[in-house]
Amino acid sequence: MSSISTLPPISLLNQIEKPHLDLGIVALTDSAPIIMAQQLGLFSKWGLHVELHMQNSWATLRDKLHTEKLDAVQMLAPMPMASSMGLLGPACPLLTAFNLSMNGNAITLSQSLFDDIKCLNDGVIPDLPLAGQWLAEIIEKRKLSPSYNPLTFAVVYPFSCHHYQLRDWLESGGIDVDKEVYIIIIPPTQMTQALADNTIDGFCVGAPWNTKAVRDGIGCTVITSCDIWSESPEKVLAVTQAWQHANPNTFLALIAALQEACEWLAFPPNRFETAIKLSQPEYLNEKLDIIAPALLDSCLTSLESSPREIPAYIRFYTRQANYPTLAQGHALLVDMQRAGQVPNSLTDLQLKQWIEQIYRPDLYQQMRQIQQQVASM
Amino acid sequence: MIFEVSYIYICNLWFRMPQLSQSVLVLNVLIIDDNSARVAAVQNALTGTAYNIQHLASTKSSLLKEVEASNADIIILDMESPSRDTIESLSVISNYNPKPVVMFSTQDNPALLQESISAGVSSYIAGQIDPQRVKFILDVAVARFNEFQELKQELKDTKEKLSSRKWVDQAKALLIEKQGITEQEAYTAIRKMAMENGEKMEVVAKNLVSMAKLLAGGR
Repeated sequence: MSSISTLPPISLLNQIEKPHLDLGIVALTDSAPIIMAQQLGLFSKWGLHVELHMQNSWATLRDKLHTEKLDAVQMLAPMPMASSMGLLGPACPLLTAFNLSMNGNAITLSQSLFDDIKCLNDGVIPDLPLAGQWLAEIIEKRKLSPSYNPLTFAVVYPFSCHHYQLRDWLESGGIDVDKEVYIIIIPPTQMTQALADNTIDGFCVGAPWNTKAVRDGIGCTVITSCDIWSESPEKVLAVTQAWQHANPNTFLALIAALQEACEWLAFPPNRFETAIKLSQPEYLNEKLDIIAPALLDSCLTSLESSPREIPAYIRFYTRQANYPTLAQGHALLVDMQRAGQVPNSLTDLQLKQWIEQIYRPDLYQQMRQIQQQVASM
Repeated sequence: MIFEVSYIYICNLWFRMPQLSQSVLVLNVLIIDDNSARVAAVQNALTGTAYNIQHLASTKSSLLKEVEASNADIIILDMESPSRDTIESLSVISNYNPKPVVMFSTQDNPALLQESISAGVSSYIAGQIDPQRVKFILDVAVARFNEFQELKQELKDTKEKLSSRKWVDQAKALLIEKQGITEQEAYTAIRKMAMENGEKMEVVAKNLVSMAKLLAGGR
């Protein structure tokens, strides 16, 4: 962890345009890089005084970023595209140059739905990750009942990898997502309650909410995002393009501090410390045994079955993980298009043009060069 | 500041208000808020008006079902409420009937409020609850919302018309080129075909164009 002990170049510190920053986050397990950068003093090391502001909804976090009430925010990876293109809401050109995390989501089904699936399999738990076909079979069977209600699933936000991963999984089982199921939006803190009272039949969310549902005995986590698609950005750091233009050095210092936090998080014992911090009332306010498993690559499945080991269940760091590539942005836009959120009339070339404005690997590389200078001093 | 903006707005829309009060006698208001003092203040302010208050705290998870079941005409919630994403998503769910949304906000930041307005929020109750103002703000919200829905419908109609015209224009150009007829004759021919087949001109035109492409070897 040599990079943490070395000091950033004075030349950069002298040129910080805006040392006091208001940073917005929605408290989740994968807020760890931002929360730990604050706890470890990494922001201060890079000449920044950061105040963290917990937000209760993605929409309000977005509005505060657009109006620069917040300088920078943790966003769901598809959100910078939605904002820049003005999809279903106000338009504001944003950019990202840093992946805060990859993976980390999972799909949990309600106990009653899972029991029905077990019945189809002669009372035995089918192999996990669960194949989407099981759900298709349930739907066909339930359709015969006079009191048939389509299955309802929840995700936290329309522009989220959770949403696209859920759609992909359902489609893999041959389910017509737009016709055969409902997908609704519920805030993460209300997910497990909605599952418990059968408002929904399942959800796709990030940690720690799948673990909580299993511990509470109200659901079974049947598949993780690593099983559906992996190595795709989950949360990113976003700022407005105008803000980055006005504060280029501040931006580099900010992502340099986050890079160091992500590297620190790669070391397993540090994950314990992180779980303890996150469990505190000012962050997630949940028990340690709900927060720790996902951080330690363990996916609890149900009260009656053993956990699955998921390598890189939540990835914060590899040599490439934090580097945002144009291909990653393009893949997300294609997912958004498939979900009917981006007009099909946009050509591949037009999608690429959007991505080039929003995804800025060049800024990430600038930050890396500064860090390398520091390391070689 | 916010109230001034609302005032200008209501002046423009004033003529729409009587229409509304004729068709709807009682408007059901759904408040999603954990702050009981604030709910009581709004309730007081609206006593004896056409607004019928129903209260629902935001901690309930079955929010969506309750919103549907409540038959609400207006929804009020706090800008900082976790339920905001749920409420905002209602405008994207196709089988859901959109409703005006009013937000409580302790922020007096006009830019921020304006941003949420473009995200579909109809109006704000900013700062302290002023009983004199609450009814007025709801009136504005309903009026603004109706205006917005009309604009959206108009835009949809215009877009449909434009796309239909695009196909008819292409088909006309094809006929003029291939058959050597005038534009008027081409138009008449497409219309006649549409009438004979009981289809829209747009559909006939689209078929003509794709047929021509097929015959030209997909080019």
